[in-house]
Amino acid sequence: MRNRLVLVAGFGLLFSSVPLAAHHSFEAEYDFNKPMKVSGTVTKMEWMNPHAHFYVDVKDENGKVTNWNFELGAIPVLLKQGWKRDSLKPGDEVTVEGFLAKDGTSSMANARKVTLPDGRRVFGGSSSDAALR
Amino acid sequence: MRLGSASLIGFVGIALLLVATCDPAKARAQEKKARTVPYPGAVRPTKAPPPGPPGPVPRMPDGHPDLSGVWNGQRELPGDSEPDMLPWAAALTKQRTENYSAEDPEARCVPGGVPRATPYHTQLVQTPKLVVILFEGNIHTFRQIFLERTEHLKITEPLWYGDSIGRWDGDTLVVDSIGFNDKFWFDMAGHPHTTQLHVIERYNRRDYGNLDVEVTIVDPGAYSKPWVQHRLATLETDFDLTEYVCNENNLDPGHLVGDTGGK
Repeated sequence: MRNRLVLVAGFGLLFSSVPLAAHHSFEAEYDFNKPMKVSGTVTKMEWMNPHAHFYVDVKDENGKVTNWNFELGAIPVLLKQGWKRDSLKPGDEVTVEGFLAKDGTSSMANARKVTLPDGRRVFGGSSSDAALR
Repeated sequence: MRLGSASLIGFVGIALLLVATCDPAKARAQEKKARTVPYPGAVRPTKAPPPGPPGPVPRMPDGHPDLSGVWNGQRELPGDSEPDMLPWAAALTKQRTENYSAEDPEARCVPGGVPRATPYHTQLVQTPKLVVILFEGNIHTFRQIFLERTEHLKITEPLWYGDSIGRWDGDTLVVDSIGFNDKFWFDMAGHPHTTQLHVIERYNRRDYGNLDVEVTIVDPGAYSKPWVQHRLATLETDFDLTEYVCNENNLDPGHLVGDTGGK
C-alpha cells in the first residue's frame, strides 16, 4: 500500500490545505492585549498532542533566568506546516513572539511566530496563528 | 445666579474625575472588542473554504458513490442563519460564547458527539454494509453508520455518538441518528441540545474532491425549528490521518479561564 505520508522539505509549503480549526478557542486561554516577545535557549520540546509545547530559558537584564512555556499547534497541523519533532532541540537559540496566558501565569504564552536558530521566522500553527491569519 | 469660585473648582474637579475614570475603561473595552476574533460557530462564516480538486466521483462496485477518503473537516458555508433556540438554550449559548468557550468539553478530551466534525481531518471508510467516520482530532475515535438496518436500536443508555443508520437516496447518503446524551457541545460557540436530539445528515460527493454535507438538527427540547447547516468537506490528497492522542499532554484545562474582563 502506498504510504501517503509526505515528508515536507520546508515550512509553510502546504499551508493552504491545512484546516486551522483549533482544539480550543484562543481567547479562552490567551490574551490579544498582552503580546510578548522574548529570546532565549530551548530547554525542552514536548512533541505531543493536543498541543506541542517547548520551553525556553530567558535571561532578564539582571541575569535572572525564567523558564517559559510556549504552546504550538497540534501535531497534525504542525507536520503540514513543515515542523518536525526535532525542529527545536535543547540548546537552540530562539526568539518567540506571541500572547501571554490570561490566568496571570507570567511565563506561559501562545507562540504565534518562532525565529529558529537558522534565522527562519515560522508560524507556530497555534490558535493565535489561526485566529490572526 | 453666579457660580462662586469654590463651586467652579468643585465642578471642574468632578469633570476631570469623570474624564479620568471613564476614558481608560472605555478605551480598554473598545480595544478588547476590536481585538476579539470570532471562532468556529460563534459567528456565521462569510467566506466559503477553497474547493477541493476536480475529477469524477469514484464509485463502488454496486454503483453507489464511494465517499471514502481523508477529508478536510466539514467547514460551514456562508448563507446559513443562526438557529431558532428556546430561551434557555439561547441564554446558555450566549453565556458559553461570551466566556470564549472556556468550558468546552472538547478541550478536555471529551467526545465531540454528532454532528461535530472538527478539529482537523475526518476519514470516511465505506463498505457496502457500513460506513465508518474516523476523527483525526478530538479523541481520535470513530462513528459507525449502519447501512443494513432500516430501524434504530432500542436505546436504553444515551450515547455520545448515538445510533446512526444510513440509506441511499439516489447518489446521496442519508444518515439518521438518535439516542444521544446531552453532554457534548455542537461547536465552540456552545450550542446545546437535549436527549431528544435527532440528526439527519445528507452526504453528497459532488465530484472527486468535494463532499457536500447538509446537516439538520431537530431537537424540540432546545430548538423551536429544525436547524439546517450546509458544510463542505474537501479532499486531503497529501496526508493520511495523523495519530492524535488528546490526553497525552493536555496542559490546557487549568488555564482555560475565559473572559477575565480585560484584567
